[in-house]
Amino acid sequence: MKAIRLKLAAFGAAALFASPVTATVQAGAPAATVIALPPMTSPDAGAKGNQSLAYAWQATQLIETDLRQTSELMPLSPDRKDYYSYPEVTAPTFSKWRDRGAKGLITGFVQQRSDGRLTVGCYIYDVDKGRELGRIGFVVAPDDLRRAAHKCSGLAYKGITGSPGMFDTRIAYVAETGAPGARVKRIAIMDSDGYDHDYVTAGDTIVLTPRLSPKGAHLAYVSFQGGVPQVRIADLDSGRQRPLLAGNGMTFAPRYSPDGSRIVFSMMLGANSDIYVVGANGGMPRRLTTAPGIDTDPSFSPDGSKIVFESDRSGTQQLYMMNADGSQQRRITFGTAAYSAPEWSPDGNLIAYTWRFGDTRRIGVIAPDGAGEKQLTAGSADESPSWAASSRELVFQRTEANGRPAIYRVSLDGSQPRRMTIPQDGSDPNWSGAMD
Amino acid sequence: MRKILLFATLLATPAWAQLPGLRKRQPTPPVPMLVQNPIELLRADFAAQSGGSMIYFSQGSAQLTQQARTILAAQAMWLRQHPEVAVRVEGHGDPTDTRDHALALGAERAAEARNYLILLAVPAAQVSAMTWGKERPGPPSAVMTLQDSGSPPLVPAAG
Repeated sequence: MKAIRLKLAAFGAAALFASPVTATVQAGAPAATVIALPPMTSPDAGAKGNQSLAYAWQATQLIETDLRQTSELMPLSPDRKDYYSYPEVTAPTFSKWRDRGAKGLITGFVQQRSDGRLTVGCYIYDVDKGRELGRIGFVVAPDDLRRAAHKCSGLAYKGITGSPGMFDTRIAYVAETGAPGARVKRIAIMDSDGYDHDYVTAGDTIVLTPRLSPKGAHLAYVSFQGGVPQVRIADLDSGRQRPLLAGNGMTFAPRYSPDGSRIVFSMMLGANSDIYVVGANGGMPRRLTTAPGIDTDPSFSPDGSKIVFESDRSGTQQLYMMNADGSQQRRITFGTAAYSAPEWSPDGNLIAYTWRFGDTRRIGVIAPDGAGEKQLTAGSADESPSWAASSRELVFQRTEANGRPAIYRVSLDGSQPRRMTIPQDGSDPNWSGAMD
Repeated sequence: MRKILLFATLLATPAWAQLPGLRKRQPTPPVPMLVQNPIELLRADFAAQSGGSMIYFSQGSAQLTQQARTILAAQAMWLRQHPEVAVRVEGHGDPTDTRDHALALGAERAAEARNYLILLAVPAAQVSAMTWGKERPGPPSAVMTLQDSGSPPLVPAAG
């Protein structure tokens, strides 16, 4: 796969953040913060100016689309009547937006450079206080305007909610085609807005569970290429792929550590599945669990010090916690249902999992200490949750009534899950952290 | 002597089972009328002599049932008489399980069957084990397909 790494040259002091806006949305609150988003402007004049304004309008619309996807921010529709001049980018008329009920305001500009690239600048303000919350700027090729706009959306999201945005992130999943029982499965990857869709594997062998490295540059997945399931690593820039371990052991359920340096995974030793950790570049794996039965689906805490995993050592699948060296293993779920496939949220506050009772599977969340268990979906076949960088939203797989898997996203606020648009059926989604 | 490689098939457990607990064994798949391939002959003989190529588990379990042990014992006898035949035991998880637990459970089932064959004096090198997790759902008999000539076929080993 070709690299589409962005050359985002940040200018000035990157993003400066004051404390988040006072109108912060409480988790679970239904009300969204209203954001004013007048069309971005340009310092360019004449014919060039018109073209710059076209770019600026495009960026404005991209930001609007981004913010509409969130449940925390509600952008006012950009209106060309609200056009402002270049100096007003940094000196907006707050009273005007206050009157329209906006709590936040985004301004910005696009300027064409002599080398053909664009300078894009964005600013986010607290309208009530008349105070700047952050600014960000880039020099980009016109083709990368989309990513610069996503970065602006992320700035606004962080300014208002205090959480990192997930607009400039990627989603990997397994694209599925073909008849049931003979599915062709390929690892696919796309930007979280659906653009830049690409395939990482050719479809000649069954592949499962893509897991992106924190910055989205590498991808660990499971392939049946060698006759048994084994973890492989793909470098998304160079397209090179290699097995995680030498030999013919069965390995699966890989996940990167938050710093990208290690990979935790499951390996079969005879009839026993245990959890191991190994350097992301290989080396000798170290065994972390030894209990009889199935220990699998490990996921690191964001500080890398703990691992949550699933074990059926007590009879049914339940969630357990341990230190990253395997010490102090303890159970955190005690329900009559099965709890499996946990993933720790990037902010560390919650663990998402697949809840299973009989043939019903749903997505739930629980605090790391085992408190506050809550179901997020009411489907009959929902599984494989993966967190957005914002820690406020998840992607998951839902097998629909026709038996075909699709990818949905759901917010923590209790709103209905939304189906994502992808070219084929999809399973095992995985959401990256913010990219560089 | 050159080893003939047969992929032994599978242990399956259909969790879409209509009945809770252990399922009734499904009828042995029909033996083709015209069997030209020696491996298919071997496969047919294996299935006929050992009472089937599949064994079943109860949902969520990797424990061998008495019925499974009976079939494995017959398979072990056949395998000891045919040391040139290598078999592969393919384990399946339950389709309503989560992805990775299904992989682990299928591997556990395959390993339990393989271990039992080895306990019954089948050389360990003659039997390998793998898991499909929940990737090959459907009636277990569907699993018995011939591979291309380079990498050999399948024999139902694990009944």
